[in-house]
Amino acid sequence: MKSQNSILATAAIAVIGLAGLSGVATAHHAATMFDREQTVELVGTIREFQWTNPHIWIQIQVPNADGEVEEWSVEGGVPNRLFRSGWRPNSFEPGDEVTIRAFPMHDGGKAGLFIGAKLSDGSTLGRYE
Amino acid sequence: MKGRLRSLASGCRRSVVLASMGLFAASAFGQGGSTVNRPYDELPDWSGVWSMTSNTVFDQATVDPPGGSSNTIGTREYPPYNEAWEAIYAANRAADARGEFPDPISTCGTPVGYPRLLNQPGAYEFVVRPEQVWILTEDGPNIMRIYTDGRDLPPPDELWPTYSGESVGHWEGDTLVFQTVSMKGHTGAIVDRTGLVLSEEAVIETRMRQTGPDLIEARFAIDDPTAFTDTWHVVKEFERMEPGTRIFEFACAENNRNPIDASGRTLTLDAEGNILDQL
Repeated sequence: MKSQNSILATAAIAVIGLAGLSGVATAHHAATMFDREQTVELVGTIREFQWTNPHIWIQIQVPNADGEVEEWSVEGGVPNRLFRSGWRPNSFEPGDEVTIRAFPMHDGGKAGLFIGAKLSDGSTLGRYE
Repeated sequence: MKGRLRSLASGCRRSVVLASMGLFAASAFGQGGSTVNRPYDELPDWSGVWSMTSNTVFDQATVDPPGGSSNTIGTREYPPYNEAWEAIYAANRAADARGEFPDPISTCGTPVGYPRLLNQPGAYEFVVRPEQVWILTEDGPNIMRIYTDGRDLPPPDELWPTYSGESVGHWEGDTLVFQTVSMKGHTGAIVDRTGLVLSEEAVIETRMRQTGPDLIEARFAIDDPTAFTDTWHVVKEFERMEPGTRIFEFACAENNRNPIDASGRTLTLDAEGNILDQL
């Protein structure tokens, strides 16, 4: 919990109530570990983009208030369906500066379920109003 | 026979014209044709790639809350469960709320089973052949083989529960009608993630027909003498996707970072395989 508090106070930046938001990634597994009542915004640098089945994963490094870099794992949808909605295997590349919005884990683990992202060129992916 | 084939071919052409006018004639295909081993030119054209029109809540007619997602805790449907199986459903929903109702397919190796096979979020292909129909899903491994060659279901001593069961069918006009038996029950498969399950005694009659130029309807009549007090009727629809839509490989075990632990909890791993959950 301490870790979660730290993240929320510093790097995560924003917690927004989004009860009722649906239509995010459909997983091959139960997704109850993610809190769909909360949203975190992760501002950082892409370390790795895993364009893989059964889900894509975005490894993003996020600096906290102490200057330390924390890595978050953001789980997305199935690459097959993401491709059809406009994603590509190079939608994220190492070194990209991005902001990712995600549902965080209930228990404070440094992972989230992808909602949307704003890329350095101002374009967006997913739900990022 | 030639005359009838010409008549059917004419019927198909007529359906194309009507479809282009937005007036799809659902009965244009196969009227009066043979019920089994129907030749190609008497079969409907279900080619292309299709997708389910709804989310993955199986019974859209009774979902509570309306429009609810199967991934949202508390969403439920109202199949005609008897008291004992309503209790099983309640227990499944409670386990889901605790994060302890793992999806059986999280193992990345087993099919979703039937009828969940027609409740998938990915793309579909419906391959209609004279002697059988194949339902192929992009997510998987899921293949449904529906024999339409006139065979009967295997005798009881040649059946054992499988995820997708055994199916035989026939054509009634433009409608594919098939019976499915011998499906794994609640110990091996779910119908959707709200916790819906059937028993191994469930028998399903499915009626599939084209209701528009780019729309297929599947009507399920599910009888489960162990779990239900009445027949459960459910309808799902599938729409044809843009021409040229690609279907991709789905290799679930390629990078599965959500294994299930001994308690049934779905874990989340970091890029190096370390558990991120605060256990």
